[in-house]
Amino acid sequence: MSTKELFAHYGRQFGTLIGLIGLCLVLWILTPYFLTVSNLLNVAQQISIIAIIAVGMTFVIITAGIDLSVGSVLAFSGMVIGSVLQAGVALPIAIFVGLFVGGLSGIVNGVLITYGRLPPFISTLGMMSVARGAARLITKGRPISGFSEPFRDLATAEVFNVPLPVLIMAGVYLVAYFVLARTKLGRYTYAIGGNEEAAILSGVNVKAYKIAVYGLCGMLSGLAAIILTARLNSAGPNAGIMYELDAIAATVIGGTSLMGGEGTITGTLIGALIMGVLRNGLNLLGISSYIQDIVIGAVIILAVLMDMALKRQRN
Amino acid sequence: MHKFLVIDALIITLLLFSGCQRDEQTGNAVPTIALVMKTANNPFFIDMERGAREAADKLGVELIVQSAEREVDVEKQMQIIENLIQRQVNALCITPSGSKEIVPAIVKANKAKIPVLIVDTRVDETTLKEAGGQIATFIGSDNFAGGKIAGKKIVESLGGRGKVAVLEGIPGHETGDARLGGFHEALKEQSGIEVIASQTANWERALGYNVFQNLLQSNPDIQALFACNDMMALGALEAIAAAGKTGEIIVVGFDAIDDARSAIQKGEMHGSIAQFPAEMGRLAVEKAFDLLNGKTIADYIPTKIELVAKENLATQVK
Repeated sequence: MSTKELFAHYGRQFGTLIGLIGLCLVLWILTPYFLTVSNLLNVAQQISIIAIIAVGMTFVIITAGIDLSVGSVLAFSGMVIGSVLQAGVALPIAIFVGLFVGGLSGIVNGVLITYGRLPPFISTLGMMSVARGAARLITKGRPISGFSEPFRDLATAEVFNVPLPVLIMAGVYLVAYFVLARTKLGRYTYAIGGNEEAAILSGVNVKAYKIAVYGLCGMLSGLAAIILTARLNSAGPNAGIMYELDAIAATVIGGTSLMGGEGTITGTLIGALIMGVLRNGLNLLGISSYIQDIVIGAVIILAVLMDMALKRQRN
Repeated sequence: MHKFLVIDALIITLLLFSGCQRDEQTGNAVPTIALVMKTANNPFFIDMERGAREAADKLGVELIVQSAEREVDVEKQMQIIENLIQRQVNALCITPSGSKEIVPAIVKANKAKIPVLIVDTRVDETTLKEAGGQIATFIGSDNFAGGKIAGKKIVESLGGRGKVAVLEGIPGHETGDARLGGFHEALKEQSGIEVIASQTANWERALGYNVFQNLLQSNPDIQALFACNDMMALGALEAIAAAGKTGEIIVVGFDAIDDARSAIQKGEMHGSIAQFPAEMGRLAVEKAFDLLNGKTIADYIPTKIELVAKENLATQVK
């Protein structure tokens, strides 16, 4: 590859990384509270939930799909975990049930999209409403609170000062990076998004792999629900409202194309970090909530503008 | 790649414009008090912020006001509190988005030795006790008493006899539950009053319209409505107008927001229970300031709550 090609290939990610580092530098100059170990761990913990959902979203968007139901599926899984825990079910089983409920919701999405031939936007929009309603139905809208110490530890325990959710997030990213780069599922995810017809013609079982990708996305929402419920010591039917937008934003800022076929896991992590660092920094500086919304929206728009500009350069 | 430099430049510009006063922050002569509200998109909280700012200006303290984009986003509120703990504010005034969900954030503030003053919405006491959390005080009005005042107004207006419908808030919200409890308390001795329907409209105006329209369909003889906030009451007023029954049904709301006041003026609504959010904001900052100066403060600081009806609309100060 020539230097220019190399730049085109890696430039997108370096661009976001430089953006993140630049943002950190700005905050370091503006406030003494930003660049401390405890604050950086604080940010890492805060992004863990959205970042985990964004991994599933990255897979889905690489297949040229979208999943609008992640926030509702998170709430639904959370309510199911809350009810089974309150019913006295053992912790490992409750965790399994949470992942299972999330995964199953995702599989339903996948089946509707492949066998039902629904556009992902429509089927996950429907699931968004169904899962939210189901979450409210379980307790007639009331939150479930008060869980055992071992369960809460999932969000509050620390290993060498690093909060457990950060370690869980790191684990998810390592596995996802490996899956996307080294396995059949990863290669086919790109192939389906790049050219679905071609993937079918070359013998890929597109339907099965798509269902797996949506199932994975749902399961990761279930995992996020476990962390969120442990963090708040409470499961609420209104949890996760609009999380789909944060997850999509992290994915897109990280360079995954909404047209499908391209995107990276590291990019998504950087995207989630940019959003988390921004929110944290704006809070540290005591900036008005109204301006915060404007800044975050502007960052999303600029990131996508840059993505498109780089793509034009490459072609 | 250069575009991200543009983003950074944009952020710097915004920071400069928003008057970030770094010198004062690090100078540590002036205490910093933070007010974390449920949302900034509701007139109630805008009034609260105004009251807090006036008090902060008078006392010469630095005030940081923050809120999540969405009222129901309890996790985002927790993040804001965590970030303000990192910012080492001297006191935290919080209006909890969830009475139970807020508890882990309070415990974190306790660990950082930052006093927590709870405003407007109570914290669930058992959850707080179980978690070993501590709050300095609760500043707010008694929603139970407010619900009772609303109930009495409806009983009076109906002459002790009639069919009543209720629009509830989001289930599990301490505020709504207390209002509802007070309302039923006022009706307890009234055998002539029958509550024929009680449904939630999620605090929303649009939903208030739809739900009450449905209630009117199934119970055309509803004579009075108690809505647990004015937004739902105003939605119901539209449904009543659509049914051609404006003024025929007694409607009592809660919060006495401006739209409700003008509906009361026009005789479309019969009353609303006024709380005083600006006073809550003012007291929050003043009491936090007292606390930081080593004074002891009461563990419950009540704020006014009263009925606004056509008779006292003009004289009542907001």
